[in-house]
Amino acid sequence: MFIKKMKNLTRYLTLIFFVILTNNTRAEFFEDLSKIIENNEKRLSYGISVTDFNMDGKYEFLVTGFGYPNLALSFQDGKLKNLNQQKIFSDTLKRTIGVAACDIDKDGFEEIYFLNTDTYSGDKKYSDRLLDIEGNNFFDLFELEKNKENLNLTAGRSVVCVDRKGDGEYGIYVANYGGPTRFYEIEDELIKDKAQSLNLDNITGGRAVVSGHILSDRADIFAANERGANFLYKNNNGNFEDVAFDYRVDDAIQNGRGTALSDIYYRGRLDILSGNWLGYHRAWVLKKNQFKDVGNKDFDKPSRIRTIISADFDNDGFDEVFMNNIAEPNKLFRIKDNGKFEQITFQVGLEANGYGTGAAVADIDNDGVLELLIARGESKEQPLTLYKAKVNKENKYLRIKPLNKYGAPARGTTVTLITNKRKHSKTIDAGSGYLCQMEPVAHYGIRKDEKNFKVEVKWTNGSKELFNVSELNQTITIKQK
Amino acid sequence: MKKFLNLSLIIFLILFQLKSFAEEKNYHKELITDWSRIFPDKNRNAAGPKFFKYIIDKKITYKDFIEFNKLYCAVSGSLIDPNSDSEFLFIEETKTRKKICGNYYRCCVPCSCDLMKYSETQKMKYEFKDGLKEFYVLTIKNPCDKQDFPNRVNKNYFCDGKKIKKSEVYSLDDRIVIGLLHNGKNCEKDEIDFVKSHQVTGRYCNLRNNTPLENLDAGMGDIFIKLAR
Repeated sequence: MFIKKMKNLTRYLTLIFFVILTNNTRAEFFEDLSKIIENNEKRLSYGISVTDFNMDGKYEFLVTGFGYPNLALSFQDGKLKNLNQQKIFSDTLKRTIGVAACDIDKDGFEEIYFLNTDTYSGDKKYSDRLLDIEGNNFFDLFELEKNKENLNLTAGRSVVCVDRKGDGEYGIYVANYGGPTRFYEIEDELIKDKAQSLNLDNITGGRAVVSGHILSDRADIFAANERGANFLYKNNNGNFEDVAFDYRVDDAIQNGRGTALSDIYYRGRLDILSGNWLGYHRAWVLKKNQFKDVGNKDFDKPSRIRTIISADFDNDGFDEVFMNNIAEPNKLFRIKDNGKFEQITFQVGLEANGYGTGAAVADIDNDGVLELLIARGESKEQPLTLYKAKVNKENKYLRIKPLNKYGAPARGTTVTLITNKRKHSKTIDAGSGYLCQMEPVAHYGIRKDEKNFKVEVKWTNGSKELFNVSELNQTITIKQK
Repeated sequence: MKKFLNLSLIIFLILFQLKSFAEEKNYHKELITDWSRIFPDKNRNAAGPKFFKYIIDKKITYKDFIEFNKLYCAVSGSLIDPNSDSEFLFIEETKTRKKICGNYYRCCVPCSCDLMKYSETQKMKYEFKDGLKEFYVLTIKNPCDKQDFPNRVNKNYFCDGKKIKKSEVYSLDDRIVIGLLHNGKNCEKDEIDFVKSHQVTGRYCNLRNNTPLENLDAGMGDIFIKLAR
């Protein structure tokens, strides 16, 4: 009798052990592709932008260097190779941390804004660079005599591109630290700081910034700040009004670090993710004219966060949120339906001893799966790391690449995938994370049994276009009329 | 035995797979989120009463009330880390002049001393979501008539002319409630001895509370004292 009971007990214990095992030994989420980065030496890297560096129709990762050269990493022959040969771009002495690219002169190609910081806060020695190209050569618009009175000589962090008028003429919001925010635009062929006239010249500890359709039908701006309340600038016919307090995203005693726009409820609108340095991370969704934080206790747990990214890495049709922590393990969550955050356990990409700063996603090898490039540095030189999700071969994808009427990436445009399963908006990234900017493509994985695919594009002027999609596993380029 | 094991297994599987449905309430996060609502002008100097009023105005249970009141310093107005320890001390009760012992959650040790010297405690009854409860609150006398009202404290938080501004702070018998004395009860003799001999509430507080106001440079300095004395 006793032996029989023991046998039964053993059977049950084995079952329990099996259940525990299956819950803790799921397959790795990422694979490490860092070995394909050529000459990947230890360095201090910060922001990353994704733009077409050499105007060949493909995107490159632009990686900033703090006392190290800025890089333009292109996928060629199975490797990530630095294409840059020009000193004005690599600019080793300038200590670049923030970067964003957009077409400020309406020629269809993106200028590159490099934010240099040689001091923590307040006045700095070297100004930023705004690189345009003539022939095959970069030149700095700020070095032109006519633009010298408008240099940014304040320490800063992130930059974001803003098509505030919705006409394809981008301006650049510079999140400064300990000095007024700047907003650069071209006017009468001059680079002018219009921050004051647009109500944007606030002084704070600027850290991270995003722009897109957050509240209005134009480009709004959310800035996550340190030692001061966040800003949420609602676009009112090209002018801005800070409504962060009214919408409850001011988070006055938290220290903002990374931010991104994400459709947390898959309901066809962009909400806000905001990672706070050693503070509660926020997943703000708009409900009745106020943002409510719907992050659960796993998601909001304070960490040493830098960049935060929302993207569908594994093409399962649900976005992941990647939290790039510095000197602390990274975190990954899947956003399930109804805004439920499910933490994903992983080892590859955890980087417990990584000094992650910036990070960006792009389908750099054009295979329909996003790559994640992580910049590391700050207090310790480390090489770049590159990851890609291990994707189920049956998973399909759809990529939408909107170009504005000048043929430039329509950053700040909102793309919405409408199917029988979801209404899922994504922003064409104008700048996000911390110091970074993602590829200007809306990348969707496709869910199981998903059908009736339609895509709506809401341009930066608020006008919309809707079209049917009959074929998956492709990138659709749509040009604004 | 078999039935029992089957039942246990089912319960275990449900619990393990579904983990917890209910999210625990994060009191600290709630205070951080609402901080700019509690302090619209961003001045929290000596503004423990603002926290108390904000908390008691919520429709909450007694447990929530207790937990919220562990997270700010009634003297300085600072938020306190959720895992902070409390100080065991005594405060004189206004009506009886008896020593009431209890726990006080403070941002730094000088606040315990200032509290012991300049505040009093009173019993308060309040109807929470889960019923009527009685507890000890920490109070200071009405400061609104002071000539030397500390200029680093927002007087508009506390005063409507010479009266306590009841829309902004909670009052009892014309005294401002600045916070909660946790686990308040009449002191036993050995508890009084413990407090008096403790390195903070005894030796350090003796030193601090005998230092001239102009020489105080720790904690809130003289801000709370000027408000409460």
